[in-house]
Amino acid sequence: MAYSNKVIDHYEQPRNVGSLDKNAEDVGTGIVGAPACGDVMKLQIKVEQGVITDAKFKTYGCGSAIASSSLVTEWVKGMSIDKAEEIKNSQIAEELSLPPVKIHCSVLAEDAIKAAIKDYREKNKSPTES
Amino acid sequence: MNLPAPEQAPHNFAMFGLECRYDIEREQLERAYLALSAEHHPDRVAGADTRTQRLAMERSSLVNQAYRTLRDPVRRAEYLVKLGGIDLDSTDPKTGAPHPNQAFLIEMIEQREALEAAKSNGDDAVEDFCDDVEERADTCLSAAVRALSGGDISQAARELVTHRYLARLLEEARA
Repeated sequence: MAYSNKVIDHYEQPRNVGSLDKNAEDVGTGIVGAPACGDVMKLQIKVEQGVITDAKFKTYGCGSAIASSSLVTEWVKGMSIDKAEEIKNSQIAEELSLPPVKIHCSVLAEDAIKAAIKDYREKNKSPTES
Repeated sequence: MNLPAPEQAPHNFAMFGLECRYDIEREQLERAYLALSAEHHPDRVAGADTRTQRLAMERSSLVNQAYRTLRDPVRRAEYLVKLGGIDLDSTDPKTGAPHPNQAFLIEMIEQREALEAAKSNGDDAVEDFCDDVEERADTCLSAAVRALSGGDISQAARELVTHRYLARLLEEARA
């Protein structure tokens, strides 16, 4: 199976690989997995006043999974968390020209950013909201 | 032994005259496989019309696929789970692979970090790491087989999903 140039680019030079302090108040962490293939993905965001100022990921999986998470970290920097929450896997798949058998990799990246935002929101829930 | 058309293929166990359960008679599987392969080998219909040739090809490919599934202990267990209604290759929330809990996923990330550390400590450390993961994977398979024999498909599916994550980790460790 041929990978698209964009997938290869992100795979060979992944952006934003690394970790943020998962215990920090302003960091949200999302860890998701794909049971069918055993891939795991960790995506973290740092948020200031509702805007994502930094994003890091670690993905253990195929090239498409690495590229999907790399792309998402690139996209979400500077984005509001509300906007980032709306990212759809189809946008990721389209940008990377993923073939049908690799669509689940983009789903994983969507799940990861959503999980990170959810984690951040739960950490920063004001008492009146709960 | 006649095979039905591919679209109404019997389940893989029946194809080889085996009972539909995890413990199989290996000799019977090998014998039946050889017989079926000979019977449906595309070479036997080399002079026939295109449709007959295509059918022979499809059947022999079905036999090969079924054989590979049953011969492999993990794939055989996964296949039994599939017959029980859970397809580990599917992401369907109801009939697809069950998701492991968050703690396990976090551990899988931490295991990668442990693997990196092992790799910088040399081959012996990596070997030890692999042994541990392999042992855990074997334990999962045994637990899945026990669950299957007790008729607990969901539990078997959960164990086999864990097995897939561990197999993936092992693959990386040995790369």
